[in-house]
Amino acid sequence: MGANSGPGASPCASPVGPWRKVLYARQPFPDNHVDRRFLEELRRNIRVRQYRYWAVVRETGLVAQQVSCVAVFITLWSCMDQGRLGPSVLLWAATGCALPGYGLYEMLGGKDRERPRLADLQSAAVFLAFTFGFSPVLKTLTESVSTDTVYAMSAVMLLAHLLSFPYTQPSPPGSLSLNAALFASVCLASRLPGALHTFAMLSWALLVFALWPCLLHRLRERAEWSFPWAAGLVCAGGVGGLGAVWPGGALLLSLALLVLTLACPLLLVCLQRHKDNIHGPWDEAEIREDLSRFLS
Amino acid sequence: MGQKKRSGRVHPPTCPSETQPPAAARTLDPPNSSKARGFGREERARHRICMVSDFFYPNMGGVESHIYQLSQCLIEKGHKVVIATHAYGNRRGIRYLTNGLKVYYLPLQVMYNQSTTTTCIHSLPLLRCVFVRERVTVVHAHSSFSAMAHDALFHAKTMGLNTVFTDHSLFGFADLSSVLTNKLLTVSLCDTNHIVCVSYTSKENTVLRAALNPDIVSVIPNAVDPTDFTPDPSRRDNSKITIVVVSRLVYRKGIDLLGGIIPELCTKHHDLYFLIGGEGPKRIVLEEVREKYQLHDRVRLLGALDHKDVRDVLVQGHIFLNTSLTEAFCMAIVEGASCGLQVVSTRVGGIPEVLPDELVTLCEPTVSSLCAGLETVIARQRSGKVPPPADIHSKVRTLYTWRNVAERTEKVYDLACRQPVLPLPARLQRLQSHCGAFAGFIFSFLAVIDFLFLFFLQWLHPDHLIDVAVDASGPHSCWGPSFKKKAKDSNRAWPPGADTRHC
Repeated sequence: MGANSGPGASPCASPVGPWRKVLYARQPFPDNHVDRRFLEELRRNIRVRQYRYWAVVRETGLVAQQVSCVAVFITLWSCMDQGRLGPSVLLWAATGCALPGYGLYEMLGGKDRERPRLADLQSAAVFLAFTFGFSPVLKTLTESVSTDTVYAMSAVMLLAHLLSFPYTQPSPPGSLSLNAALFASVCLASRLPGALHTFAMLSWALLVFALWPCLLHRLRERAEWSFPWAAGLVCAGGVGGLGAVWPGGALLLSLALLVLTLACPLLLVCLQRHKDNIHGPWDEAEIREDLSRFLS
Repeated sequence: MGQKKRSGRVHPPTCPSETQPPAAARTLDPPNSSKARGFGREERARHRICMVSDFFYPNMGGVESHIYQLSQCLIEKGHKVVIATHAYGNRRGIRYLTNGLKVYYLPLQVMYNQSTTTTCIHSLPLLRCVFVRERVTVVHAHSSFSAMAHDALFHAKTMGLNTVFTDHSLFGFADLSSVLTNKLLTVSLCDTNHIVCVSYTSKENTVLRAALNPDIVSVIPNAVDPTDFTPDPSRRDNSKITIVVVSRLVYRKGIDLLGGIIPELCTKHHDLYFLIGGEGPKRIVLEEVREKYQLHDRVRLLGALDHKDVRDVLVQGHIFLNTSLTEAFCMAIVEGASCGLQVVSTRVGGIPEVLPDELVTLCEPTVSSLCAGLETVIARQRSGKVPPPADIHSKVRTLYTWRNVAERTEKVYDLACRQPVLPLPARLQRLQSHCGAFAGFIFSFLAVIDFLFLFFLQWLHPDHLIDVAVDASGPHSCWGPSFKKKAKDSNRAWPPGADTRHC
């Protein structure tokens, strides 16, 4: 290093050649030299996706219908709680929904099927038998807990279900979201008047929170056009059902759905302009290849 | 450090700290006092430097050896250096290393990965004690992962000392953890006098992360002790080609890529052997590959290596392979080249700046690109067109030396000491204008608390009652450089083997 190669020394009057971005050569520049080429490899927003408004609106349908699913579930519970609907009616309705739904799912599934139908029947039978057998236990499970606590817990759990729902990969529903939803339904079901009520409520919980997302996912995969219709139908069902028990709630829900499907995408598309993501040679390299082929 | 000998205090007659208000900037020794110390050396300012980092011996790594070697060379140049780090198990209190390098192992709680907890406040009493005792003029903190380094910068500014920071690593911008860390770095560096980075890429990264003025950031590369890494062609087995990898076996070092390269090349070349030194969570990947392709005789995993054994492993190979995914400087490839090996490396971070093209083959961080690069080097090796190891060594040995690093760092200290340390009002203004409203407010508040705490400590233990430590070079430096000349350079070897314990 020459005498004026330290930081703060005035830049050399006649530097020999241009500055190079190398450390191995001693260069006639001070250590804190800032060249014109400083940050020339900086790249901005190289992997930013440009969203189109209506495509985003279409995608928000999934979120909106999931919110509506929760509304449908609460409607059913409140109808049963107030005695407007009997458990047998609900159980028949559940059967009426589940069988065509299963048929549709199978129809869209194609031929490459690994699981035999008998296995499906077996799981359904086991689930129904256990829920039916344990419904008296579930009914008295939260007896020692105050009703306020049970409602608060259910509300928190349903919220957790909505927040943790795997919207990008909805089938099968993520374990946290499904468990939160089932926990909430057990809490709510235990406040119903009879054991059969509890059984009906849990069957519906399974239908709404576990099976419906699977069917919807398959609809989206195999029959793209039907997805907005299905989502719209669920939203309408949620608002309509809630309107029957609590008109104010229905108004709030429809407002929330409108904000979710129309205003939020607008916000996203507008804010996209302000995105400022910087990349450069300092970024950690990503391994993009599939290296597991060397191991399996 | 609680006990203080009230008697037998050694105060040089011209100790500047006593004649100045406590929180004001300490100046350097006036020239006449350094002349009084004699030895007819050039009249450069002598600095009293305190290196602070969580990472130091017995921990091993790039930062640790950097601090040690730099300190040794600065001592050689006549500066006074002490090191402050946290206690490592039984190793607490004060220890002396080679050439009287004093290390304070302070009893601070380790939180994660050898980094201490930070509250910005609690380490002030201990660090103040060190700074006052050693009459420190420059606080030099190392590594952005070290909470203690940031704490020390914070306190040093409160005490009116000049500050220098060396950043040893690269960091991204995209995820939540880097957003938070970068904010803390912005806060920590906004009023630091000078910053040192180890490569130009690292400088760009640090300037962007901490929103700095690039003029106060210097680039001073790391160095390698060339006497530690000498070639020895007789140790090679020339009937086969050996590829050496020495690195921690972690994701960031690209061990997954290595797991793809090994089967690709081993099926093509039957005289190819891999020698892999290092330990880490990705060892399992290499073991699985070795198991699946039945390469037990051709892929040897040596496990963790002591620093002194690295050279013995390197000289057994023909080709040195580095598969890092990110790297600020990469000492490993310099060490490999210094041992006379052909170096193949990924082109990431600061690596392209480190070695000239004739000494390194750079590839993209993919299995196919690295294999292609290795194939060309293997072909060159077979045809005998590679320069002899001694030639490569002689090219590399002068590129990066610790003496050069120390010389350039000395200039950074000179520059930092000429700059003013911001008084509290200006510092608060800087914090609020540089770090955003929210973080600025919080850290201004902490700066005020720190200042008040310092006031309290100065009332409790006034500076003039704290003993001034006797330098390891003896009172009035009478065992100074001329005394040390007798000691040979070989004593400087990292890691410091024997150290004496302060009683």
